[in-house]
Amino acid sequence: MSFKRLDPQDFLISADSIVGGAWTGGSATLTSFNKSSAQEASDSGNYYLSVYQTAATDADSEVQFNIAFGDSAGSGSLLFDSNIEGKSPTSAIFGQFQNIVLGDENANFVFGGTTPVTQSIYAITIDRARFKGNLFPGTMTLTVGSGSVASNDTITLTDDSKAASSVSFNEAGRVFQLLSGSAGTITTNTITDANSNTYEAGYTPSGSYGLFLPDIGTIILNTSAFELPYASGGLGLDTNLASNTDGDNNNVLFNSINDSEAQSFTLNSQEALTSDFVFIRARNSEFNYSSNPSFISGSTGTVLYEDFINAPQTFITTVGLYNDNNELLAVAKLSKPLKKDFTKEALIRVKLDF
Amino acid sequence: MGYLNNAVITVDAILTNKGRELLARGDGSFKITQFALSDDEIDYTLYNPDHPSGSAFYGQALENMPLLEAFPETTQNLRYKLTTLPRGTAKMPVLDIGLSQVVLKQGASLVITPQTLNYLGANQVFESNGYTATIADIRTMNTFEGVGISNVAADSLNSTQTLGTNVSKTVVGTSINLTSTTVNTLFGTDKTQLNTSLTIVGRDSGARITVPIVINKSTT
Repeated sequence: MSFKRLDPQDFLISADSIVGGAWTGGSATLTSFNKSSAQEASDSGNYYLSVYQTAATDADSEVQFNIAFGDSAGSGSLLFDSNIEGKSPTSAIFGQFQNIVLGDENANFVFGGTTPVTQSIYAITIDRARFKGNLFPGTMTLTVGSGSVASNDTITLTDDSKAASSVSFNEAGRVFQLLSGSAGTITTNTITDANSNTYEAGYTPSGSYGLFLPDIGTIILNTSAFELPYASGGLGLDTNLASNTDGDNNNVLFNSINDSEAQSFTLNSQEALTSDFVFIRARNSEFNYSSNPSFISGSTGTVLYEDFINAPQTFITTVGLYNDNNELLAVAKLSKPLKKDFTKEALIRVKLDF
Repeated sequence: MGYLNNAVITVDAILTNKGRELLARGDGSFKITQFALSDDEIDYTLYNPDHPSGSAFYGQALENMPLLEAFPETTQNLRYKLTTLPRGTAKMPVLDIGLSQVVLKQGASLVITPQTLNYLGANQVFESNGYTATIADIRTMNTFEGVGISNVAADSLNSTQTLGTNVSKTVVGTSINLTSTTVNTLFGTDKTQLNTSLTIVGRDSGARITVPIVINKSTT
């Protein structure tokens, strides 16, 4: 017989976590930020701005992440219908993230215990192919600048996953605060406002800088924190919140990230790779003869060497995995032939990745 | 095709084309239940029972050879399976179809009933699970069917249609019915013969035979 049935204990399923750079080519740090004028001018440009690692016209360019601006009142973009207040692309974006992050159309975004009066957000959504399974907490360092040539101010942002004593969850899975710091380490500097109030290290008077949502590959930025002056932890970003006005706010954040003093976004992604292990066991009395034409001499089937009658030797090169219909589903090659005879048993571990 | 690093024994499994197809089908047909081993690439004439250094070195030429990576093409893997036979077996099972090659005129029919020699202690036997027959180019046949075996696996294989670029076809049976094509187009303007091959494998013994097929163009 050529086939041997596998027993239940011959199978093992194992899941391994694979962590790597999030950006194209497995790079952990993105230093070049490019946008597509075509995408910007298209309908989708009213909602979000795609960011590429090279010029968008390059054959190798791939979307790395998207920037979107949302406002609960629909400010910062033209209304869909000038007679209907509050319904615009920015309100659609705000509602979208309210739905998937908060799960309640009436809930407000709360950043580090502070609920901004003006409910407006920037969202950075990492492209699906980049974040794989999820973003890897504690690896992010996003440097943002003022977006103005007149200012060299920058701040670096990271998530508080390493410092947090417990993990918070909401409708979007794990939630970490976005604070001043890098690679998961929160700055020790504190901010004191004009009224001599001192805020916890990494925070601003407007709360945290945002929310890091690794399970949906999204970073929500607190617009209020970025509008603060530099001395208060912000960058003085000029987010346009005028009603029925194309505020071009996606470009406000893009220019901040692409500020010549900034231009650095480090992030790792994580995925669980599930492998099936199949243990192939060839007992001493099994698989010691071969249907290989060179194993016999002539057409009568006589084994090639007299030694092979009582002490045959075969050399395993290939393992085939079959279903009940004898259909070959998977094949594994050994790196070198494995000698098999009546005095040897073989145990081969075959790994199947999906 | 690259060579695998032979510094350590490793196994790197890939899905075959059939495996991908059944996995995509999602109907539970992708279920590994059994395995087979083969010694494809091994040439036993390199085994040297006269090696002056003794029996530990008889297989020296074979043990250290590099091996090619696995192919996804189902029919090109595990061509020569290892078999479990009683110790002392002097003759390996071999297939006999009574022909060294198949020569047919256009539209002619032939029934092939393979037998397995030297199997299960008998000189010749019809294997109970039948035989798989694969023709390399199904376009050369009007009829290519396996008869005599009816079970889920055989019925499934026998009802498979060849599509697109899949020009080979595999059937299961105790007998294989062939009728060559009557279509002249395949011959073109100047050919008088079509050539292909037929591979038959015993489903129990793993014994295998490949014979050439020649289709002669009718001149009348």
